[in-house]
Amino acid sequence: MTVGRRGASVALAAGVAALIAAAVVACQAQPAPDVGGAEVTALATAPAPTRAPSPSTAPSAEVAVVPPVGLRIPAIDVTATVNPVGVDRNGDFAVPPSIDEVGWYKFGPGVEATAGSVVIAGHVDSAEQGRGAFFRLRELDRGDRLTVKGDDGVTRTYRVVAREEYRKTKIPLDRYFARDGKPRLTLITCGGPFDRDAGHYRDNIVVTAVPA
Amino acid sequence: MRLTHFRRVAAGAAVAALAFGGLSALTTAPAWAATSKVSVVHGIPGQPVDVYVNGEKTLENFEPGTVAGPLDLEEGTYDLALTKPGEPIGSAILKADGAEIPGGANISIVAHLDADGQPKITPFVNDVKATGAGQARLIVRHTAAAPAVDVRAGGTPVFEELTNPNEAMADLDAGTVSADVVLAGESDPVLGPADLNLKEGTATIVYAIGSAQDDTLALVTQTIDGLHSAPGGVPSGTGGLAATGLSSWWYVLAAGGVLLLLFGGARLATASRTK
Repeated sequence: MTVGRRGASVALAAGVAALIAAAVVACQAQPAPDVGGAEVTALATAPAPTRAPSPSTAPSAEVAVVPPVGLRIPAIDVTATVNPVGVDRNGDFAVPPSIDEVGWYKFGPGVEATAGSVVIAGHVDSAEQGRGAFFRLRELDRGDRLTVKGDDGVTRTYRVVAREEYRKTKIPLDRYFARDGKPRLTLITCGGPFDRDAGHYRDNIVVTAVPA
Repeated sequence: MRLTHFRRVAAGAAVAALAFGGLSALTTAPAWAATSKVSVVHGIPGQPVDVYVNGEKTLENFEPGTVAGPLDLEEGTYDLALTKPGEPIGSAILKADGAEIPGGANISIVAHLDADGQPKITPFVNDVKATGAGQARLIVRHTAAAPAVDVRAGGTPVFEELTNPNEAMADLDAGTVSADVVLAGESDPVLGPADLNLKEGTATIVYAIGSAQDDTLALVTQTIDGLHSAPGGVPSGTGGLAATGLSSWWYVLAAGGVLLLLFGGARLATASRTK
């Protein structure tokens, strides 16, 4: 075998190896496909159980909002403190800066609500602190169970019905922050490709769960 | 009893008709929405009333200082009349004939005293456009027999020189504010302070009613909910550890692999030809 031939063979082998490596990584990097999107739409548009009509002149009896205080998702080893949060100066969801904690959108429904979407968002990671509470959120699948403890001491169980990924520019936030429709729990974090220059992810991962 | 307020019925009705004439100009009703939400506010102290709409008794024994409704009223023209409880419509104490209700609007009709203490009916169109995430709308309406006032929140004037029958409004961060009302430029409250719970995604409408002279000033509050909107986004990752999609180095590797294959193939071809 000549030197030229050997060189050519080595080049061929290296080329094949490089392509296989790139292909394997490309397949692994492919995010799991969305599941349950239709169910989310159905939950948002279904009429919530109607409250007994009350005479409008009477002061409406307000049910106290029950904030969630703890979240457990055994399937992805999450045990996190839930803090009530609002919006930041830009009008964006004020996700708690500490990445082991997650935030409940305090302007939306509490866990006692008979209608609407209880929203809990958490960091997937941060440049300074590393992996966040919702690092593995995108691994959740339909049927996974999670529990939310309310500040009334009651623990409520939910069942995952959907996992979706949206570009942040396209996500239908009104559907996830709705205060009407069937009662549901919406977990949100970041995902998708990461823009290193801007320091943020392109997408949001959204998991929808219903009372189990 | 403030029965004196009701003597000049004719004058009150005339003013009300005038005020309603201007209402349709204030609202832009979408073509598909023909029904309006109409709330009724009783801001004349001392006299419960029955409210007649187009000759039909709609509210009975409606107490001063309260808000009724909202009623769903089709776009159109309405005759409104207030009577003492149980009295026939013929002896109405305040009337507004030919009140025009536009379609698709949210309206509050207020029976109140004008700046000089005369009863009148004033319609207000409520601003129900969506509030920003985390915000609440505060609307203040001067419907009392009193001179110009300043409305203060936490001691700081937020609305100044407000006169009867006008309104002022602002979208504020949701939360509780301590509000009071002072005569314009003065510092002793004539009303309040009262804690207002401005709930996110709602409009809180505060009416100053009654008469300064008769010492019957009071506040009436109406709330409209469902104006909320979603946050602008959910920024929840800055690390890039969970990134999917390929970093550009993998594309470089793949391209390198293709080049190596081409190069190796070319060398093999050349080698076998020169043999």
